[in-house]
Amino acid sequence: MPEQLSLTRTQLLLIFLVLTASIASGLALFTSASRITELLHVATTGIVLPVLLSLVLAFLLEPLVRRFERGPFNRTASIFLVSLLTAVLLYLAGRWLSPHWLAMWGSLRTDLPRYLARGIELLNQFEVRLNEYFPFVSGLDLPGRGRVLAEHLFNEMLSHTTGSALRLGSLMLLVPLFTFFFLRDGQKIIRFSVGLAPNRYYEMAHDLSYLISRQLSHFVRGRILEAAIVGIVVGFGLSFTDIRYAPLLGLFAGVTNLVPYLGPIVGMIPGILIALVDLGMGGQFWWILATYLLIGQVILDNFILIPILISHVSNLHPLWVIIAIIMGGKLYGVLGMIIGVPVASIIKIIIIEIRYYRRTFALPLASQDSELTG
Amino acid sequence: MSPLWSNIFRQKPEEESLAYFLGTLPLFSDMTERELKRLETLVHVREYDAGETVFSEGDPGSGLYIVRTGRVRISSRSNQGREIELAVLASGDFFGETTLASPAMRVASARTLEKAQLVGLFRADLLETVQKNPAMANKLLLGLTRVMSERLHAAGQELMRLQQARSTAPAGEE
Repeated sequence: MPEQLSLTRTQLLLIFLVLTASIASGLALFTSASRITELLHVATTGIVLPVLLSLVLAFLLEPLVRRFERGPFNRTASIFLVSLLTAVLLYLAGRWLSPHWLAMWGSLRTDLPRYLARGIELLNQFEVRLNEYFPFVSGLDLPGRGRVLAEHLFNEMLSHTTGSALRLGSLMLLVPLFTFFFLRDGQKIIRFSVGLAPNRYYEMAHDLSYLISRQLSHFVRGRILEAAIVGIVVGFGLSFTDIRYAPLLGLFAGVTNLVPYLGPIVGMIPGILIALVDLGMGGQFWWILATYLLIGQVILDNFILIPILISHVSNLHPLWVIIAIIMGGKLYGVLGMIIGVPVASIIKIIIIEIRYYRRTFALPLASQDSELTG
Repeated sequence: MSPLWSNIFRQKPEEESLAYFLGTLPLFSDMTERELKRLETLVHVREYDAGETVFSEGDPGSGLYIVRTGRVRISSRSNQGREIELAVLASGDFFGETTLASPAMRVASARTLEKAQLVGLFRADLLETVQKNPAMANKLLLGLTRVMSERLHAAGQELMRLQQARSTAPAGEE
């Protein structure tokens, strides 16, 4: 009898212990889950930019490496050669440009408050005019909003320039390293991850990964080339006028051109603003506007570049573009806004490839089935 | 070379390497040793358990499989849904080569009969090779064409033989 009692007692104790342990571990898991996602986010923020940049670089350099590889070099040697070539080219470009850029950057930092103040003034005038024509639109406070936005922008720029030396240093170290490994082992990494698929689905996974990576490299190369050409042409077109900072404005227009629909509009705002402040509404202003809109966007981008470089596969509905921009901005700030849309396009390409693949092979199968039953 | 050094430098005997095995196949008989080494990195070695399906009739096909070890049963489903065995393949045989060059559905099913090691060569790899190493791709395609035309020839003759047998057969048999 006492033996039985002690047994149940140990059992009770065990049950109690197990229960408390499970509750405690459940609680710990719950709290650590949010902690882990937070940690993941923090840990990846430093990595996202270098990894993305090196992926893009790897996509861009891949054709060159291939060309060398066809010659007497093996892959590693050709990657080294291409990296060396790129480094030399970048160094020469940097040496040639850096005095201009530094001077421009310095004067821009003193000029920027002036431009912003003038921009807010213009907004003010616009609101007064708006109230004249549409008296019912009141309480918009456009200048106030503009001022808040401008101050935010200015602060961000100032705070970033202090820390940017360190970030630039780490980028200059990490990006070449990552690019080298992506170029050398990218194929192997994909092969290995596809190889994890079970035998039954291996063949399909392999085929799909090939189709998707081909589409992706087309897309990335096309987008980057498009942005670069638009940026160069806009910078070149602006340099015909007396506008200051034409190269910087061209660069800005090129980078923002990565985002469809909204990007070009955002890209021309600083140029228009500087033109208005420095040059006024003269003939030069209209030339600048024409450079941005007519030459940069309509003729070059829409009629020449997009039909040649970008396939319709990656076209996103404007709604998705806006959603991608907002979500990207929430995740990674300004960088996220720029890369959000390309990432969304990449996801779309993947989905479409999979669907296309399935449909191509499903069609004859269905007809065969009907043949069998008929 | 003294045995000591050959021990150090040669991890595997030549006959056991994948490149050597590939070189023995009629498909790759034109290739040099260097190209065979390259081919080794191109193909996919997969391990299968006994009775595992490699692919089924109607699957999207994208390449050929070479049997390295084990046996594979190729079968097709008749109109009545019965399974008809077409062939049993052993080491050195290959199957599925019709889908290598152009995407098509599998017209038969393949299933391993015992533990097997298959070597896959897929269209994606072939297309990569065409871009990266055209000379090697040429040899690959030539080998493939030779084997395919031999098979086509044999199939044509078989068809002729069947036709003749049918025309000479007594009418009552049909």
